[in-house]
Amino acid sequence: MPHVVKSTILDAPTQRVWEALRDFNGHDRWHPAVATSQIERAQASDKIGCVRRFTLKDGSELREKLLALSDAEQTFSYCLLDTPIPMFNYVAYVRLLPVTDGDRAFCRWESRFTARPADAERITRMVAQDIYQGGFDAIRRHLKEAA
Amino acid sequence: MRDFRLRNGDRIREKLLGPSDYDMVCTYSILESPMGVENYVATLRLTPVTDGDKTFMEWSAEFDCSAEREAELINTIGAGVFQGGFDALKRAFGG
Repeated sequence: MPHVVKSTILDAPTQRVWEALRDFNGHDRWHPAVATSQIERAQASDKIGCVRRFTLKDGSELREKLLALSDAEQTFSYCLLDTPIPMFNYVAYVRLLPVTDGDRAFCRWESRFTARPADAERITRMVAQDIYQGGFDAIRRHLKEAA
Repeated sequence: MRDFRLRNGDRIREKLLGPSDYDMVCTYSILESPMGVENYVATLRLTPVTDGDKTFMEWSAEFDCSAEREAELINTIGAGVFQGGFDALKRAFGG
């Protein structure tokens, strides 16, 4: 089962980073792969179990469900429900930890999923580089613009 | 068990409780020290930062002490021992 882990240090206090990340319906505002985001059934975006529907820049759609969200621990977790990419049982976990030295944020984004052996390497690379590392680079720009 | 003699002459004896090469975590307790702390257990943890191949290092401790010394000890240990250790490691490894 592929296990993808990416991490970075963001030059902003964890609370600022968390305010951007905790909005499960707000990732279209900073992630380069996401064109639009909408929460189904008009639920609050921090309600456990809510489902977000992404339209990606390439026109495809995917649905993801919020599994856990903790303001105290600055973590959230979600799974994929529907995606055009042949990956299954995808569960992702994001966490922030304070870097007291300089008042910055350590951010870790990881997931496990299953895929056909022929697809596993390509999908793992795509998740690690395009989604996670691309997301870090984008949230860094987003924080700078908002500052 | 390690026996530290500090530059100011103080002696600290510490016991290694749980090293894990797999998790890159180590835990230790203070057996004897002039600091006035009880039940002191510290944890050092390294986590990889994949973006740039760097290291996230966390150093934390829990202990008991008299209420009036709490703020001073938190500052001595946090700013002096831990941040001082980070600064020295940054000089040694760069970053």
